[in-house]
Amino acid sequence: MTQPEKDGLPWWASASTHRPPARGGASYDDARTAENKPATVKRVTSAPAGARGVTDSRRARRDRRAASWFIFPAAFVLTVVTLAPLAYSLFVSFTNWTLTVPGSDQQFIGLANYGRVLASPAFWKTVQVTMTFALSATGLELLLSVAFALMLNQQFVGRGLIRALVLIPLVITPAVVGMFWKLLYDDQQGVFNFFLVSSGLPRIHWLDQSWALTSVVLTDVWQWTPFLVLIVLAGLHSLDVEMLEAARIDGANRYQTFRYLTLPHLIPYLMVGVFFRLLDAMKDFDKIYLLTQGGPGSETSTFSIYAFDTGFRIFQIGRTSAIAWLIALVSFVVSLPLLWVMSRRISREMPS
Amino acid sequence: MRRARNFNGSIWKVVWLFIWIVILSIYLFPFAWMVMTGFRNPVDTYSWPPKFLFHPTLQGFHYLFAVKHFQGFLVNSVIVSVASTLLVILLGTPAAYASAVLPSGKKGFLLGLLIGRMMPAVALVVPVYLIASRWHLLDTYQVLVAINVAFNLPFAIWLTRSFFQDIPRELREAAILDGCSEFSVFHRIFVPLCAGGIAAAAVFTFIAAWNEFLFALTLTNTRAATAPVVALGFRTQFGIQWGAAGAAALLISAPVIVFAMIMQKYLLRGMTLGAVK
Repeated sequence: MTQPEKDGLPWWASASTHRPPARGGASYDDARTAENKPATVKRVTSAPAGARGVTDSRRARRDRRAASWFIFPAAFVLTVVTLAPLAYSLFVSFTNWTLTVPGSDQQFIGLANYGRVLASPAFWKTVQVTMTFALSATGLELLLSVAFALMLNQQFVGRGLIRALVLIPLVITPAVVGMFWKLLYDDQQGVFNFFLVSSGLPRIHWLDQSWALTSVVLTDVWQWTPFLVLIVLAGLHSLDVEMLEAARIDGANRYQTFRYLTLPHLIPYLMVGVFFRLLDAMKDFDKIYLLTQGGPGSETSTFSIYAFDTGFRIFQIGRTSAIAWLIALVSFVVSLPLLWVMSRRISREMPS
Repeated sequence: MRRARNFNGSIWKVVWLFIWIVILSIYLFPFAWMVMTGFRNPVDTYSWPPKFLFHPTLQGFHYLFAVKHFQGFLVNSVIVSVASTLLVILLGTPAAYASAVLPSGKKGFLLGLLIGRMMPAVALVVPVYLIASRWHLLDTYQVLVAINVAFNLPFAIWLTRSFFQDIPRELREAAILDGCSEFSVFHRIFVPLCAGGIAAAAVFTFIAAWNEFLFALTLTNTRAATAPVVALGFRTQFGIQWGAAGAAALLISAPVIVFAMIMQKYLLRGMTLGAVK
């Protein structure tokens, strides 16, 4: 990651040191970060000096066994409920199974489903729609959220309440968001068109061919901007106020302070936020299904809508499974940077 | 001089509030419109120009309960969400404890969970549908609960783990030296110390299960359908019955908003799996 790591610490560690400790445990965390050493040093000294060598391996074994017992139930459920169906769908993706054709589940056609999907223009249209949707929504949310967060970071009366109210769109049931934005977008009774008409502008056919994708993006921006606002606010809180003060005394103007101090500090936060947003936008189903059902035509048909339609409208089970696997693969590739960041974090924190 | 600056400062405190009131009244307008639709006379919903001021009625709610028997579906939502939450906490808390506190490599497990969190739900919807129909589990609570548990466990484990990590590990070592079993260290020391974090994981799991739409849509019909799916059914051949739809939207989203506001402090931590606190 591009972020300069203070004292060789990854950013999320240094971020926590600037926060006031919320609970007793936080100060421990801070102490550990300040030492810039894994906790092992402390742990060894806290163990009884004499009994170390002999008991260590026995204790390690005991710990490992305990760990397996604690993890086993969750791992078991996840295997049964997610991995097993995924494996089954991999198997099905090699068949010609169509629910309306009896016996087709026995026809093995190898990789033909994958070939057909990759050769179909509809699939590539879906890729294009999904990427356009995810990237433009995330981009707009990013810009808007930085502006909102900087404005929320000012000192003013009633700030706590305003901050809570900004979060409302984020916490409404997504299906409900889709449902009532459809009312707002309505051609005839929609209140958006009422505002347009009363200010002398022409009506917009929000959910028609040329506007549908834009409208879906707008709804997503409305709903998810607060998520990035929260992230940027967390970043701003962890900013060193004295550093900003020093820059001001040295004659830096507001723009310079933002450009050279605040923004570089925010970037790692924004990266995490953007990746979460991209991945979630690529998965989005509820809102789009309720607003447009992927239509008109396939203008707003994202991965999820496309797979859903192939499965539950055309009943081509084999092909849907191939699509599902391709989608899963794309999501996995997009999530790699985030996985890498998190995996470094795990290694750093791992009790050894 | 100084007084002038103070005066300037307090002016800005009010000016920013004013600016935010303007922004919020635009930004939250869609939400306000939804609330208003729930209380508007169904006839007024189709009036043009739209009525901004009106006499609020409870007709939408009345229709929802008396005609559509919406309460039954709200109960379904509650059953599925509560059962999923209990199971997630029961299964997730020990796993979170082990991966935060116990030595030995669980990196693979944690990364696997993360990959699970990133997977699109739609990749599972067809195989789960096929399996559920073969085992006669369609339109039951069980299958919805199983799916909600599987989808929320990864996030719940990551979140709870981040809270367990805030507790000094020396506490465990000391207790073990004093003859405590691993399980009593877990449930007598760590669970009480992390009660807040576990509660946050529970609330967020409840919200996610309550909001879940795709699987409820495909796996249920009339018996186990949850509230969001039923609200979709207010589309008729004459258009959407907005009075009822608005009332339903309000009833579905109100508990979620309240819960999220209570847990506001942990909202970001929950949504980023503990990556940003």
